[in-house]
Amino acid sequence: MANLRQVAQYGLNALLKAGAGKAQCVVTFTDKHEMNVELGEFSLLRTTFDTNIRLTAIKDNRRGSTSINKSDNESIDKAASDVLAIAAASAPDEAFDIAETQPPAEFTSGSDSPDLDTMYSSMKKLIHQVEDKYPKLVLMQAIIDFTRSRSCFVNSNNVDFVTNKGVYNCTFIFSSKDEDKVSSFNYTGFSLRDLEKDLLECGSLDILLKQSTEQIVTRPLEGKFVGDVIITPDCMNDMLYFISRALSDGPMISGTSIYKDKLGEQIASPMFTLHSRPVSDEICNGYFVTSDGYAVQNSTIIESGVLKTYLLSLYGSRKTGLDRAVNMGGAFVIDPGDTRFDDMIKSVKKGILLARFSGGYPSDNGDFSGVAKNSYLIEDGQIKYPISESMVSGNFVEMLKNIKGISRERIDYGFSILPWVQVSGITVSGK
Amino acid sequence: MYRLNLHDYVKLFSSYTELRAQENRVVRIAFVKGNNTANSRSATSGISARVYKNGSWGFASNPEISEAAAKAVIQAATENAVFLDSKEQKGRGPLPKSPVTSENDFSTKKPRLGQRELVDFARELDDHIARKYPDLASRTVSLDCLDMEKTLVTSDGSYSHSLVPRTTIGIALSFIKDGQPVEFARPYGGLGHFEDLFTAPGELYGKIEEQYHHLMKKSEGVFADAGLKTCVLDAELAGILAHEAIGHTTEADMVISGSVAQGKIGQQVASPLVTLVDFAHSYNGQTCPVPVYVDDEGTKAVDAVIIENGILKGYMHNKESARYFNVGPTGNARAYEFSDEPLIRMRNTAILPGADKLEDMIASIDDGYYLIQPSNGQADSTSEFMFGITLGYEIKNGKLGKAIKDTTISGVAFDMLKTVTMVSPDMKWTNSGMCGKKQAIPVGMGGPAIKCKINIGGR
Repeated sequence: MANLRQVAQYGLNALLKAGAGKAQCVVTFTDKHEMNVELGEFSLLRTTFDTNIRLTAIKDNRRGSTSINKSDNESIDKAASDVLAIAAASAPDEAFDIAETQPPAEFTSGSDSPDLDTMYSSMKKLIHQVEDKYPKLVLMQAIIDFTRSRSCFVNSNNVDFVTNKGVYNCTFIFSSKDEDKVSSFNYTGFSLRDLEKDLLECGSLDILLKQSTEQIVTRPLEGKFVGDVIITPDCMNDMLYFISRALSDGPMISGTSIYKDKLGEQIASPMFTLHSRPVSDEICNGYFVTSDGYAVQNSTIIESGVLKTYLLSLYGSRKTGLDRAVNMGGAFVIDPGDTRFDDMIKSVKKGILLARFSGGYPSDNGDFSGVAKNSYLIEDGQIKYPISESMVSGNFVEMLKNIKGISRERIDYGFSILPWVQVSGITVSGK
Repeated sequence: MYRLNLHDYVKLFSSYTELRAQENRVVRIAFVKGNNTANSRSATSGISARVYKNGSWGFASNPEISEAAAKAVIQAATENAVFLDSKEQKGRGPLPKSPVTSENDFSTKKPRLGQRELVDFARELDDHIARKYPDLASRTVSLDCLDMEKTLVTSDGSYSHSLVPRTTIGIALSFIKDGQPVEFARPYGGLGHFEDLFTAPGELYGKIEEQYHHLMKKSEGVFADAGLKTCVLDAELAGILAHEAIGHTTEADMVISGSVAQGKIGQQVASPLVTLVDFAHSYNGQTCPVPVYVDDEGTKAVDAVIIENGILKGYMHNKESARYFNVGPTGNARAYEFSDEPLIRMRNTAILPGADKLEDMIASIDDGYYLIQPSNGQADSTSEFMFGITLGYEIKNGKLGKAIKDTTISGVAFDMLKTVTMVSPDMKWTNSGMCGKKQAIPVGMGGPAIKCKINIGGR
């Protein structure tokens, strides 16, 4: 395979030769080794190699970009010429820019090559463990992959970053079946540096597999009430998308973010602290360089309920006059609380344990509604039974303010570390 | 796209093999409140092979489309299949054969526009919205073009080449009401290159005006009253209902996994008014939004009748599931990128029209909702589906009332479809979204308006 840095430098020079005032080139070589399991048996072994070359040019305050997956000089020359034509078509904007000079750096995480035998034996062991422990469980799809990427980011301000990353990723989709009764499917996943631990002990997998077998027989909720909801870490993973989006370029530039002008203000309960830690040791599937060419740092987004930073890119920063974020979000870590999960359940008079939210995208003002999947009714401090045909609705902005408890226990997904979060004031409706 | 003669490599096949060269070409342009935030083109191409051996599959892909790459992926995919077969030893027999040859190109015959013309088109739409509706807090105009070009040969003797373009203009309008943002977004476009779908920005002004009026009503909107309600689902919702509620449940891999549709062939699962079909490429002589003539396993694509007059008739199949159920493959195996393996995917899933007028449906409801625009949706093995609603109105005493805020509707498909009492004669197709199932892929959805009982989220 062609030399990574040489290809990146060739791309950068091609852009400058084609007339770019400012230019950047990002080259990524990726190889993936993936084992697929369907219905509890291995079905597919997949090996893919790919190249991505992203070229960006700015000329006369006009910006264009293209990406190709060919690394020969002829393809890059053509792409560079195309980018200048694309840039010439753009509307001019003084906010278009590239990252300024930083010390060159090389970042490395994870292994260099997959341990295919251990991938196979780890997954095989999981299949046997599931058959023994949860005989009614249907492992609809299980995927383990090792993805290795090598990336080089260069720009005309002499930014020069190389990233080498290898990570194992696992995803699982499953349901449970007993004669003609079937549970809702559920899913989870995690990333790993190595395969030393049993897969069943990683992330929330064992908890969710056990719950799935309990959910073959469910009961619809009757009527409607406003109560507490305990959001599981898997569900929280999905819900953090709302915060992330509301703090990012699009809503901030358009001025429609619900968190506009809220920097330094209390936007969540003082119990709630949210970090983005893409370069910490505790996150194995993070990232090192932003898409606009800055070396990444960890950040605290919300500290004791106070908004500490937006997630603005260089462009977003220049459009809004606010600080550029030191990362692109993700790799979320929520600080643990001081409540044991069991005590959290005991504190609920009437509510639900929300394990999966299947709903429409939240509105820009934070309103949400959706189906409480794989979830349980909690009454008088006890988990009563799994529910179906039940919906939850509320407002995400209010929900963050109405946090009543955060669990001591957390789930480590490799790409995030999250606790159970108890909130009040959620409308729960059944048939 | 570089056209390698794939036939030259068939002699290297040692087992059942598919060899596919593919290029996906994407154009993305966006204006957010007048700022040209996106202006890019990309092309992703390569070659892949998938090999079957005694029930185990091997797959390999390479971004180069060359003789060396073709040989390398065939060899690597074969080795992967042999490795897995040596471990698993399933001993399963051969897959069904149905050799077919096909050439389908939906490219425009008009001269192609350059990036400048496309950017100018989007900017003119943005300027128009800014000028005409100064009270809006923000607007987003986006243009997304996707060409999928595939060439396939299989060891069965199938050959196909297809080029299927899709173009979508998305317009999102935002208004601030009492300090709270309210948004209403709509996609326009469908099958075809930009040049065949859009001539002048002015052609969209009427639709934008309608969109603006809906947004103003939505800004005064109320929360839906949560619970089980009688609703009229407009045509676009019937399409996503067909896709999410029934479609996913009747994909044969989901059925084998134990979905609620398992073992229900021949049973009444819906009102006799409901007929649901996953069309391969044409309906009533018209090309569907995502035409598939030959799928990515080299099977001739045929319509899959799922429900006929309320009776469950069949499932959607690839070769492997067809063998499992001892039926013919339907041509539902589709892959998104060159580096993706084919999965059982829907193509153009639709509920067929009936005879009831939309106004009669609304007039027949004392207390319910008229739901018009969907957003995202999700299916389940239990057939309990949901999808988001971004535009709807109350129905009070047979008349439309206030708009409602964004909400979500849900139901158990095989129960909910039995509550269908009216179906309109019109038929509307959409294909702006992507369906996610390991890979994303464009799908077509269609349907008329239907009256039914459904759970609605709210306060």
